[in-house]
Amino acid sequence: MSEPLLSVNDVTVRFGGIVALNGVSIDVASGAIQAVIGPNGAGKSTLLNVVTGLYAASGGAISFAGKRIDGAPSHLVSRSGIARTFQNTELFGEMSAIENVMVGSDRHHSYGLGSAAVHDGRYRRRETEARREAQDLLALVGLQDQQDTAASALPFGSQRRLEIARALATRPRLLLLDEPAAGLRAAEVEDLTRILLALRVERGLTILVIDHVMALVMAISDRISVLNFGRKIADGDPDSVRKSPAVIKAYLGEKAAHAFSA
Amino acid sequence: MVARLAIGTTGLALFLAAPHVLPEFRMFEICLIAATALVVLGQIVVTGFAGQISLAQAAFVGLGGYGPAILAATWGLPLWLGIPATAAVVGVGGFVLGQMTLRVSGHYLALATLAFTAIVQLALVHCDVLTGGAAGMAMPTFQIFGITLSKGSELYYLVLPITVLLFLVTGNVMRSRFGRGLAALRQSETAAEAMGLNVRRYKAAAFAASGFLGAIGGAMLALLSTYLDPAQFGITQSIYYLAIAVVGGMLSPVGIIVASAIFVFIPEWLQAFQSYLGLVFALLLLGFIVLRPDGLASLRPSALRLGLSRSGEGSR
Amino acid sequence: MLAQVLVSSATAGAVYALIALGFVLIHKGTGVVHFGYGDQVTFGAYLALMAQVLIGLPFWASVVAALLLSVLIGAVIYGGFMWPLRNASLLSRIIASLALGTVMREFLRAYMGPNAWPFPFLLSQTSVPVGGILVVPANLAIVGISILVLGLLFLLFEKTVYGKAIMAACDNQVGASIVGIRVSSVFLMIWVIASVLATVAGILVAPVLTLSPDMGLIGIKGFTAAVLGGFNSLAGAVCGGVLLGVLEALGGTYVSTALKDMISYGILIAIILARPQGLLGVIAIKKV
Repeated sequence: MSEPLLSVNDVTVRFGGIVALNGVSIDVASGAIQAVIGPNGAGKSTLLNVVTGLYAASGGAISFAGKRIDGAPSHLVSRSGIARTFQNTELFGEMSAIENVMVGSDRHHSYGLGSAAVHDGRYRRRETEARREAQDLLALVGLQDQQDTAASALPFGSQRRLEIARALATRPRLLLLDEPAAGLRAAEVEDLTRILLALRVERGLTILVIDHVMALVMAISDRISVLNFGRKIADGDPDSVRKSPAVIKAYLGEKAAHAFSA
Repeated sequence: MVARLAIGTTGLALFLAAPHVLPEFRMFEICLIAATALVVLGQIVVTGFAGQISLAQAAFVGLGGYGPAILAATWGLPLWLGIPATAAVVGVGGFVLGQMTLRVSGHYLALATLAFTAIVQLALVHCDVLTGGAAGMAMPTFQIFGITLSKGSELYYLVLPITVLLFLVTGNVMRSRFGRGLAALRQSETAAEAMGLNVRRYKAAAFAASGFLGAIGGAMLALLSTYLDPAQFGITQSIYYLAIAVVGGMLSPVGIIVASAIFVFIPEWLQAFQSYLGLVFALLLLGFIVLRPDGLASLRPSALRLGLSRSGEGSR
Repeated sequence: MLAQVLVSSATAGAVYALIALGFVLIHKGTGVVHFGYGDQVTFGAYLALMAQVLIGLPFWASVVAALLLSVLIGAVIYGGFMWPLRNASLLSRIIASLALGTVMREFLRAYMGPNAWPFPFLLSQTSVPVGGILVVPANLAIVGISILVLGLLFLLFEKTVYGKAIMAACDNQVGASIVGIRVSSVFLMIWVIASVLATVAGILVAPVLTLSPDMGLIGIKGFTAAVLGGFNSLAGAVCGGVLLGVLEALGGTYVSTALKDMISYGILIAIILARPQGLLGVIAIKKV
């Protein structure tokens, strides 16, 4: 069994008196699609935020591709190969769709301040490359016709897809999605499922998804971890999680758990 | 492309013709407008493009003038060396100041930059051995290759090319991945950071640029006024530069050139009412920030705004 | 010696406390740091002066006139500028408050001249020895009136329903409006109270600092005091003011009087960098 790509080990996150995550351990294997589910307030977004360096862990360790990343600033976590989307879309509203994606792809087509100052050949070449890569990514998520529309002017579903395209532009190894299906219609959820499955196959991407929409979670996950009140209460393949009494109790209450297991 | 060539040629023709057509005091005014616009360019890089509130511009202007003057007076360093050297140091100082943004933003940042300006002004007054204290000191005349440039029509050949060059370079950089990075962190720091942008370094770099541009502009202004008076480099002046930025448009290099011209001409228009000058500037600032916060640039968005977003839309 | 320094520092501390309170009040209420507040302090003092000099009112009548006018000014600032800008960007609101202060300052410079005006002290200026320490009655008046004003405000906010409603609206606009509190009226009240506070502080401090359009720089001291106190609580603002007065007096005596101002700015920058939430405040975390 090879080493997991992402390893969250006994991580605790505290905000003053509130314990958002309590000794949570989750491993994500390379090339897997894994989901984290749980009732509201379970700590799912906190998990994403502590992995990406937005929050500090008060205890435990986080490793990515064998190296410790807990305590590292967000931009370094991103550069090591982890990209993410946000629960409340954090797009660059005034910029167009393609410019949003280019902010991500810029890093791989870089040029120095000198080239930027005089707009020389290197600048022109790299800008064209970055632009092309951004266009390809927009096409991947079906937004190629809206490339010059301001991000804040896009409809909600398109904004969600733009966030994914933008995250992909950084060429990550691990993609963290924070409720990507929230607010999407059934047809859009199907599109999203298709895109994510294709990403795993075509780009060898490892994906960790947080969501409530079970249609998405069950359709794509190899493995599901369940959080409740900051603790992990179940971890396994979709079937076993679905039948786990602890999970049923967390979602539906004590009586339902008894009813199911009786 | 053709349009650019046409603009460039017309500009060059105007540039060469002006000294032969315009009287001396107009030439002086043109230089004053250019130097002021350069200072305000520094302001919009940090406050407009990077979205960081800075009231430090007057301090950079003061240091940009005093530095070369002191280097010339104490060590005989010629101005053509002293000015860029000082600007570079002030730029580094701006970078250090910008590191503060790790800790603070918004109100506290405004306050910290305000305090910075106050401290620099106090220092200029107290280090009277070097700076001449509250009485100030004279700015040496500019000499290079044996040529002396002292009048408006002579400094013209120094001030204008430098201003145009710095404006073009800044515009270019804003239309590159660096400008995109700044626009990104302005709109969502969290997302920019998640995209791998070192937000703190970008902000510090914006401060560095504002320091550098402010210092060069300050040196030019000192050459034009031939005297350095510490009372000119305080919080009121920082607000003055901020006012020009607001009136011109925080994201518009062209807008601030127009606004600088307006602010330079106002004292002339108000000939008889000189004592009301400060009040007029303050009312302009108040009026614009309440009624037209995007400045004059919002009147002609396509022509005047740098258009980082292709759709041209953008509310603040 | 130390006792003397502390007693002398009480004057400055009292005034800083008033100004800091005004800052925090405005910030708690409307989320705006009023960068022009120092200039409003100056303007308030000038109102009393102008009533005396231009209209010829006796001192106490002009003080009353100034207080009444500052009620009007507070209302105008809120209604004409802060309310319309309530949804504007932070940058716009900061610049607007700066602009308001600058307009007031430049107005005074244009109409009353850039030079200093003498301003009458409330009580005698000759120091009186009290138990080995020299006490100046005029300064005692400043401290006394400050304490009185602070006491009145404390009563208002802690003991009256009206005052508690104001604090409630500051903490939670939505919640307050649900229970029937008209938030815009509350904010108007806050601006009016803060404006009157500014005038009081101005009249108290004008004789000490000599009245000129640039007296508003004391606003930075008030801001520093508010930052020291955490910028969150009214009590913190008062503590911050007193503390700043003491620190400044100690620094001035034991380090250097010329650099007293630098000490304040230095304290400010140090606090901002080391502990932005001040001595009593709390840092908020944004939920993503």
